[in-house]
Amino acid sequence: MVLVVVLVLGGLFFVLRPDTPEGAPRDRAFDVSIEGGEMSPDEVSVNEDDNVTLRISSDKPTELHIHGYDVEREVEPGKAAELRFEADLTGRFEIEDHDSEKELGALQVRPR
Amino acid sequence: MRRVVAVALSASLILSDARPVFAHGFGPTYDIPIPLWLYLYGAAAAVVLAFVPLALFSSKERDPAHQYPRFDLLGIPWLRRLLTSHLLLGGLRLLSVGLFLLVLVSGLVGIQSGFNFAPTFVWVTWLVGFSFFTALVGNLWPLVNPWRVLFDWAEGLVRRLGLRNGLELEEPYPEALGVWPAVGLYLAFVWVENVFEGSYVPRNIAFFVLAYSLITLYGMAFFGKETWLRHGEAFSVYFGLLGRFAPTEVRVKDQEVCLGCDGCEPEACVNCYECFRRAAPDERELNLRLPAVGLGLPEKVLPGVAALVIVVLAGVTFDGLLQTPLWLEIVRLTPVTQTFGVILLPLLFFGIYLGFVELSRALGGGGDGGFRRFAAGYAFSLVPIAIAYQMAHYYTYLLIQGQMIISLVSDPLGWGWNLFGTAGFEPRYGIIGAGFVWYSQVALIIVGHVIAVYLAHSISLRLLRDPGRALRSQLPMLVLMVLYTITSLWILAQPIVK
Repeated sequence: MVLVVVLVLGGLFFVLRPDTPEGAPRDRAFDVSIEGGEMSPDEVSVNEDDNVTLRISSDKPTELHIHGYDVEREVEPGKAAELRFEADLTGRFEIEDHDSEKELGALQVRPR
Repeated sequence: MRRVVAVALSASLILSDARPVFAHGFGPTYDIPIPLWLYLYGAAAAVVLAFVPLALFSSKERDPAHQYPRFDLLGIPWLRRLLTSHLLLGGLRLLSVGLFLLVLVSGLVGIQSGFNFAPTFVWVTWLVGFSFFTALVGNLWPLVNPWRVLFDWAEGLVRRLGLRNGLELEEPYPEALGVWPAVGLYLAFVWVENVFEGSYVPRNIAFFVLAYSLITLYGMAFFGKETWLRHGEAFSVYFGLLGRFAPTEVRVKDQEVCLGCDGCEPEACVNCYECFRRAAPDERELNLRLPAVGLGLPEKVLPGVAALVIVVLAGVTFDGLLQTPLWLEIVRLTPVTQTFGVILLPLLFFGIYLGFVELSRALGGGGDGGFRRFAAGYAFSLVPIAIAYQMAHYYTYLLIQGQMIISLVSDPLGWGWNLFGTAGFEPRYGIIGAGFVWYSQVALIIVGHVIAVYLAHSISLRLLRDPGRALRSQLPMLVLMVLYTITSLWILAQPIVK
């Protein structure tokens, strides 16, 4: 009885579980723009260990901060700024405007 | 998705002033939703595993619920000296009152818009941390409850000043009221936690603590300390519920001291702290036991306890539900609709629960004691589900937000102090990977579910006294628990919207 349950659940686990993301970490680049205090897209989703580049443009001078990673970048209007980091922490991290501490969006890093 | 986000944004614009709306009183979420495949797997496992306890145990003779293996820690001489030392017990009480006063002081005079001790301590360290401690280790609340300690001190003082009768008026408590005052107060607490916008503002916390202190001290003075703590003090009743799950218990061997106590049962005096206090030292036991056995005890269930279990269960579900797109689409977060949600969700849960209990009773061929006895009896079987979901939902929050307390103890008021040299401590994020979080969340929920199924079955054996009828009566309970477990998993699988 116990054996049957273990076999059923174990088998199901291996059938359902998808393959992990293939291959080496990738370079991922995203264009994000901040307008009127809102960021679009408001969610950046990557896989663990990806090399992430955010090309940020903004309608106001601001400082973009990623919570947890503690990386930040000042942005001037009309001049795109680049923020690079390696996505080595998994989970959901807020992206905020460092001056007003308002949440603009989130970075989601999925585990491998 | 786009529309959901738009709704979420417009909703958050209505609500928020400068800062984002936080779930659960305080602090952002770091978890990412569990993937669809894992949700489906968890759901399948919940269904399959629900039958295991029934298949394994339904044919065997079971000992009565109050006979289970236990080990008396006070039987070890050095442990006895340690655990009964006045230094330790008095120190814990003093620490608790000190922290209580620190919450009030930092709430009232500390910095309001920066890092302040009160919100982190109340919402993270105490509410989440102490709840986990109570469920996993044991219930220390009767020992450290600051209102009880302050009341004891005040009473000692008054008696010394010559007032023979002390502070207690000992008005008769209406028996039929049961723990309903505690249910009402706990519901109000859930509202403050999840709906009230300013729940993380230090000054508001101090005001709520003061208001609750007035109610509690007045209740203790009016009805008598122990009576109010057992019926009206929401946290005593709440931690008492969690403490039944814990792997430790206090027990009085000779039940002579229990005469006149309405808190314990004829079979045994377990976790009745009033009797424990009155008992002679060598009549006391502090036992290790298996987790959750305390929930299967044939104890007297006061009116309203089932409702409290449901409110606790609905409260944690509500906190998770608030962050799902479904909720935001349908309810459109406004304080008014959320208040309706806080009240309606427990009512809905209670209705569903009572419906399934009635089905279970009918399938089991009735039974003596009527519907009320069944509804009260099965309530405790839901506690492991509530605890497991609470842990799955909050443990990363405790691990990450809880680190804030390290720097806050050095600078509780936000005045730039550095009392213990830890003020500069920066919390570490990502200490546990999101993959581990997924698996552990699903595992916790499934384990709680299996324990609940096992408990419900042993309760049915006690209520129906016939293995065949008990087994039949469990079909609706299984469906109920599978439904709730799948709902919990579904919430964990929802994208987070703010």
